[in-house]
Amino acid sequence: MLRIEGLSAGYSAKPVLNDVSINVGAGQFVAIVGPNGAGKTTLFKTISGIVKPSGGAITFNGVDLLAVPPPQRAHLGIAHVPEGRQVFPSLTVMENLEMGAMTESGRRDWQANIERIFEWLPVLKERRDQFAGTMSGGQQQMLAIGRGLASSPKLLMLDEPSMGLAPSTADFIFERLIDIRRQSGLTMLLVEQRVAEALESADHGYVLEAGHVVLEGNNDTLRADDRVRKAYLGM
Amino acid sequence: MEGFFQALAAGLLIGAVYGLMCVGLGLIFGVMRVINFAHGDFMMLGMYAAFYLFTAAGIQSLFGNTVGPFVAILLAGPVLAVFGYFVHLALISRVSGTRTASLEGEGHYAQLILTLGIALILQNGGLIVFGSVLASIRTPLSSSAWELNPFLDIGIFLNKARSIDAIVSLAIMILLSLLITRTRIGKSLRAAADNPTAATYMGIDVDRAHRTAFALGCGITAIAGGLLATNYPFHPFVGLEYVIVMYAGVVLGGMGSIIGAFWGGMTIGLVQQMSTLILPTQLQNAAIFAVFLLIIFFRPQGFFGRMVERT
Repeated sequence: MLRIEGLSAGYSAKPVLNDVSINVGAGQFVAIVGPNGAGKTTLFKTISGIVKPSGGAITFNGVDLLAVPPPQRAHLGIAHVPEGRQVFPSLTVMENLEMGAMTESGRRDWQANIERIFEWLPVLKERRDQFAGTMSGGQQQMLAIGRGLASSPKLLMLDEPSMGLAPSTADFIFERLIDIRRQSGLTMLLVEQRVAEALESADHGYVLEAGHVVLEGNNDTLRADDRVRKAYLGM
Repeated sequence: MEGFFQALAAGLLIGAVYGLMCVGLGLIFGVMRVINFAHGDFMMLGMYAAFYLFTAAGIQSLFGNTVGPFVAILLAGPVLAVFGYFVHLALISRVSGTRTASLEGEGHYAQLILTLGIALILQNGGLIVFGSVLASIRTPLSSSAWELNPFLDIGIFLNKARSIDAIVSLAIMILLSLLITRTRIGKSLRAAADNPTAATYMGIDVDRAHRTAFALGCGITAIAGGLLATNYPFHPFVGLEYVIVMYAGVVLGGMGSIIGAFWGGMTIGLVQQMSTLILPTQLQNAAIFAVFLLIIFFRPQGFFGRMVERT
């Protein structure tokens, strides 16, 4: 579904991403793990078009994504749940969800989507008329996920959904994501620093360090790898 | 006592038009975060657009002297909106929006110079094209009044033209609020203002949202300018007189708050008219800024501004 080949990108002359190749098949749950500054967020921003790559190719369902203007990419079925949540603070919860549903498929499936989102994340229903900026971090994260789902995406990209949250809240959000994935069969690409949880639930994983993919494999392979065990799992 | 009520009424009437004028600028600033120094001059163009639509484009002969001016003024809105659309497309978009999102200062320096340059071109271009003779859009209503008797012994005179100006301003303000709060376009404008990057992730074309906001802002201020022109004569440099008031209104309302800008403009209108009760007329503008400083001293974020934004 999403095929990234030899991607290099960065903010100045010094590249943040170096020859990165990643493949996400339809229905897969793929996790990208790695330390701070490895280029995980830059990778997502390049997929969404906020960062221009200096080399490589990205195709999404056969479409050359780099030729598609950034705001059009959401309309192809890519939902980006950004790092740090980035909800619209002066819009209500409901309006935030409507913004998620700007895509054609999101508008068409609005009723069905909103019911499912409220079922998965009931706090959004309770607070539907509250301004997003006045909610707690965990609630904003749930809103960001709901907003992504409201577009009826083909691919849901989640950038560190646990960032800055209390461990219990992060656990709750992880469980929700796994439920959502089980019930919807949605293709997901997850970037995460909570390596153990990410690898546990994903089908396939990549380890990104200093802009390079240093390791990839299914979750058993990665979790059995000595480097991963030492560096990320503390074993 | 009668003087007080008379000034209050006059302040409310002129305040509604000032409010509309400020909302045009507030919309542009709120959505784009661009300081538009040329906004007073866009308003000047709106005044002349209404003037020529009325006199030269046949509206006078079609609708007469009473209704005609207001038809022309309302049509000046779309004319200036189209003009603003192309100014944004050709010039403003080069120094704002997603093109400059990654630059230091987000292109604000270039925006200041560019909008100042546009202001100078419009002012001097206006002088060449329109000449320096004072123009005005007079209607028979400009010099007649309704008399109200809210209390037994107090009579208040409401200038008919100004009363209609205020009603038109309020009507446009209500339409705009509905647009901003209820429609998909309005919500996406607010989303683009809140967080342009996240808006792009949603599939909102932020540059197009900016263009919409700029065109709307120009059109709204043009209508406000036309309304003012039913009572105040104008000339190509009239924008300078109003742009300061516009910014004061936007700041009073709270930078970034579109509805707040209306109340900011309303406050200025009220202060301007009420000050005539105790101060000589020449000090009207001084009174505005004394009150402005006082309000900003106690409420630096303005009426509707947010002091702290949680992200």
